[in-house]
Amino acid sequence: MASCHDVQLDSRVDHDPKRILLMGNPNVGKSVFFSQLTGLDVISSNFVGTTVTYTEGTIELNNEKYTLIDVPGTYSLEATSEAEAVAVQFVSSKPRAILCVLDATNLERNIKLGLEIQRYNVPVIYALNMVDVAKRHGLEIDIAQLSRELRAPVVPTIAVKGEGFTDLKAELAKLVSQPSASPRFVGTELDAWRRAKDIARRVRNQASEELSFLDRLGEAMLKPLPGIPIALLVILLSLGAIVGGGKALRALLLLPLVNDVLVPFFKGLFAMFIPEGILLNVLIGEYGIFVIGFEWIIALILPYVFLFYVVFSFLEDSGFLPRLSVLFDGIMRKMGVQGGSMITILLGYGCAVPAIIGSRTATTKKERIMISAAVCFAVPCISQTGALISLFAGFSPILLVLMLLMSFVIMFTVSFILGRVIKGEVDPMVIEVPNLLMPNPKAYAKKLMLRMKGFLVDAEGPMLISIVIAATLKETGLLELIAGYLEPLVSGWLGLPRDAVVALILGVVRREMAVAPLLAIEGLTALQAFVGGTVALLYLPCLSVFGILTKEFSVRFAVAIGLATTTTAFLVAGIINQVAQLLS
Amino acid sequence: MLARKPRPSSQKSFTSLYDAEDGKQYVVTSVPSVGILKSLGIMENTIIHKKMTYRLGGPVLLKVDSSEIAVGKEFAEKIIVRG
Repeated sequence: MASCHDVQLDSRVDHDPKRILLMGNPNVGKSVFFSQLTGLDVISSNFVGTTVTYTEGTIELNNEKYTLIDVPGTYSLEATSEAEAVAVQFVSSKPRAILCVLDATNLERNIKLGLEIQRYNVPVIYALNMVDVAKRHGLEIDIAQLSRELRAPVVPTIAVKGEGFTDLKAELAKLVSQPSASPRFVGTELDAWRRAKDIARRVRNQASEELSFLDRLGEAMLKPLPGIPIALLVILLSLGAIVGGGKALRALLLLPLVNDVLVPFFKGLFAMFIPEGILLNVLIGEYGIFVIGFEWIIALILPYVFLFYVVFSFLEDSGFLPRLSVLFDGIMRKMGVQGGSMITILLGYGCAVPAIIGSRTATTKKERIMISAAVCFAVPCISQTGALISLFAGFSPILLVLMLLMSFVIMFTVSFILGRVIKGEVDPMVIEVPNLLMPNPKAYAKKLMLRMKGFLVDAEGPMLISIVIAATLKETGLLELIAGYLEPLVSGWLGLPRDAVVALILGVVRREMAVAPLLAIEGLTALQAFVGGTVALLYLPCLSVFGILTKEFSVRFAVAIGLATTTTAFLVAGIINQVAQLLS
Repeated sequence: MLARKPRPSSQKSFTSLYDAEDGKQYVVTSVPSVGILKSLGIMENTIIHKKMTYRLGGPVLLKVDSSEIAVGKEFAEKIIVRG
């Protein structure tokens, strides 16, 4: 608790008198409140000096603009974790008011946090969320009584359905315009627990249970049977939706758009002004910036990235992922990590950068390193998966399955070895299983938008760089020169055509670029495609990953990962090639 | 809160949460000092309902108040409960 005063306050956080905090336990639907109450101008920031991110937006009350801060969800305000320390920083920075969301289905624990918040002498209003679910679970709550016990306004809401927000906003407006005396709670966490249990007992009436289909499904999914089959089915369907949907988008919409509209337009445009020569080739030649730029980014990568986040965000908001963690914790323990890390690794199948940032939730440094390494080594990002699917499309789907199996084996091996080598412990899992629910469309859309924006901002630069490098290398003839030097490795050891060198060079910049150039090579054999795919999968993660590893860990760690992955890539792919050559 | 029985009865035996039988209610008697367990309400003298134990080294699933919480095997082995 001493740490309250150690962390430096964000100077911006310190001075804004029109700040309203949105607080509550994890999984109470806080993000739905945030998206319902704020406009489109949402900013996601890092809390100074920490790894904790929070979102802020603008809320209008009494025709005045206030800043609503979505404080990271915590179970207590004891500053025992970084997120809790940040939450403590926010409540002690004299905000105008606090909107505390309480989950009606977990009353005791939520009231406990609600009481801890009252230690800080800030006007507070409570939203009692998921009153519908509580009712179905047989819990009727006396709102007026709860309001008296907490000595603050309490508004019932059903956030996912958008119910209760008009009342909530009206109450919040009242609170900020005429701040009444803030309720005070004095006592330790244990006192808060006692008082919370007492309050919960008094305001809660048992009613009859009428579980809905989703409640029953959520319950069933926690049992190995039918939980595991359902989980596998959901994963398969998700993959199908991403891969199939991506292919369809590509064939029906994006490829025609690129090949028939964008590329011919720019070809025509540049041909009018620029004389034939290297410059024109760099712009619109076979590897021209305006040719592969559109082809790779729009037709190859975007559809898969978009659909991945469509599916992942849905699974995340529905409460599916924690159930997955519980079911597969046993297996993850064998790998050396714990069930909760499965969510982080799955996120890595979208992009390694958010996964590495997400690994902050690991409770020990050891586990963080293990997850990040596993993702860097063997988890293909969605852009690369898209490229690999296109690469193998001409051959057999068996190649894709083989590649997937290899990726699992390598992930397991890397994690297992690191678990033995790195000193320290990996904490066992402690995870709350939230109710299964249908995500709220508005909150879901906002999350999706933030993610796509993040992807475009983070990936655009490196992608353009790699495209410019590709175009320049190829069209200036420099590539031939480098290919000559790397010939023994590329053609001798790996058995790939000379042009595959482009893939190796570009793969440093972006992961899918280690595959994309292979697509352009005519007459590739199935073995060459598989070997090329293997190199790409295991190869150095992209520049952005290198950057995030440096930022989150150290340059040394980033370099070590880079060297280790590259060596593994050439070793494994080479062995596959040599063995296959011997056998045939 | 809980009146102590004058003599320890054989029925009120102490056992680790991991080994405790599924589908029954227990009173927690000792918990390792881990912040997250306390924050989730798994403290001494709390009543918890053990729903199930996952095989192959998996976690145990608990109901604490009305929320469901999964606790990994190694922690569950260190939490002592009374039947």
